[in-house]
Amino acid sequence: MRRVTLSPRSDWVEQVERLGFAFHTIDGETYWDESAAFAFTLEEIERDIEGPTDAIEQLCFAFIETALDHEEALTKLAIPAEHWDYIRESWKRGERNLYGRLDLAYDGRGPAKLLEYNADTPTALFESSVVQWDWLEQAMARGAIPKGSDQFNSLHERLIAAFKGLREPSPYRLHLTCVQGSPEDKGTVDYLTDCAVQAGLDARFTYIEELGLLSDGRFCDGANQPIETLFKLYPWEWMFRESYGKALAGSGCQFIEPPWKAILSNKGLLACLWEMEPGHPNLLPAFFEGDPRCATLSGKHVRKPLYSREGANVTLMERGRVLDSDDGPYGAEGHILQDAATNLFSAEGKYAVLGSWLVASQACGLCVREDASPITKNTSRFLPHYIEP
Amino acid sequence: MKRSSQIGLGAAGVLLVATVWSMTGDSQEENLVYNSLSDCRAAGQLTAQQCETAFSEATATRLKDAPKFQSQSACEAQYGANGCGSATIGGAQYFIPALAGFMLARGLAGGPAQPLMPPTAAACPPGSAQPECQQARAATSSSSSGSSGGSSSYRSSRSRAYSTTSGSNVTAAFAGGARGGSVSTTSVSSRGGFGSTARSYSSHSSS
Repeated sequence: MRRVTLSPRSDWVEQVERLGFAFHTIDGETYWDESAAFAFTLEEIERDIEGPTDAIEQLCFAFIETALDHEEALTKLAIPAEHWDYIRESWKRGERNLYGRLDLAYDGRGPAKLLEYNADTPTALFESSVVQWDWLEQAMARGAIPKGSDQFNSLHERLIAAFKGLREPSPYRLHLTCVQGSPEDKGTVDYLTDCAVQAGLDARFTYIEELGLLSDGRFCDGANQPIETLFKLYPWEWMFRESYGKALAGSGCQFIEPPWKAILSNKGLLACLWEMEPGHPNLLPAFFEGDPRCATLSGKHVRKPLYSREGANVTLMERGRVLDSDDGPYGAEGHILQDAATNLFSAEGKYAVLGSWLVASQACGLCVREDASPITKNTSRFLPHYIEP
Repeated sequence: MKRSSQIGLGAAGVLLVATVWSMTGDSQEENLVYNSLSDCRAAGQLTAQQCETAFSEATATRLKDAPKFQSQSACEAQYGANGCGSATIGGAQYFIPALAGFMLARGLAGGPAQPLMPPTAAACPPGSAQPECQQARAATSSSSSGSSGGSSSYRSSRSRAYSTTSGSNVTAAFAGGARGGSVSTTSVSSRGGFGSTARSYSSHSSS
């Protein structure tokens, strides 16, 4: 794994905008950054990222199997008890999932370590699937990187294939939703809508604020159309607690991601996996705050709220002293403590975190985000990657 | 290859096709396009056996992946008059866009041949003055009558529009009089695609 400094395409803004990539700059700050790229060997990709990603997913499935029947685990994960049966049913019915992103610490030496699993509402999808793919083609064509380079990125074709198989019979009608006022979320959902249309689905967008409830218990979109299948870029832990939470079980709606993803998209998972497989090469030691075993963690560790997005409320501690933190609204449900990764890639005074994509539970893509701080936040930059020939 | 072989974006109206770089030289591979099995054989770029394999792959993929409609009129609204045919799939009758041609990579790495269908109404609206659309319409009307492509009606054509099963539009270039066309892997692009999401993308860019 190397960080390679490159000159950006002189017309990079035009090039990425022609793909429909609108949030390359966020609040005046660069988000899409092609002034450098990360180069990997095929062995690094397959042995250190793809293999461990599939292995961690299997570990997660094993954890769900045990957690669903253990009230203590579900309580520790702060999942409201009134939704346990709903989650169990979705798992027992075998409801299929679309995608997720594991965030990994990796510097090319030794095994990648799981920082967290964005199993429910991951973004950075369009730029991973399309924008860096197109960058690669053009970088080879202009000789910036070796011809014959490749990229760990079959996201686009995997997403289309996965949409076809999420529900039977297919094609089916799919609604997609996200909150108003977030260009990044809307961009992600627009891209997924495009993939769904290419999968032959009757895909319809509606903002989550527009959702209604019909008298027969079904949800409907802004035009009062009943919703049978809903892709929602909106976290389960919020849906459970909002007023329509009570209507979920009786709605007959198939959700994507399915309700069982609530168990994975929770920082408590990190402590649970370590409990299940202590010493696993791809896991960092982690415990729920208050567990006496927290004393066995190394002096430098990270305190994370169970529910948190984009690094919010994450605190990096060293021997009780706060080294770095990010403010935010999360943390009421509790925290975990996790050893700080010692293999975070660092160069030019910046830190890089790998996002390893899963589609239909199969590892199939990579994104790299870089930040001046070891906590990856929503201000981090997206840098493309390539596999050296 | 660990990346997608092609990316079609209906909203942005682009089709991106991966360049397969030959490791022994810098030549980039092209996608070959034929309008019929007989055109493929006559062009002489592939053996008769390769042509038959490609044609049957494209035929099978069309039945499997082409958009399916309950009525001929619904299909024609999208693919143009005479742009559709009936097909029996799993015991049920559907209307699906006609096989207007097929596309395959010249090299071995390209995978199975892809079916090409008439361009969608978004790319070639009725009465379109675009030359490739006019030729495409003439061609689809002859292919839908059961002949294998009607190559005579566009022998002198230089380009022709198609759509793929993923909903993207593709334009292939044909050398004058040639029976085989090609889609250069660096110049593939299409117009139109789907309208509604395109508007949401552009309202984005401007926000």
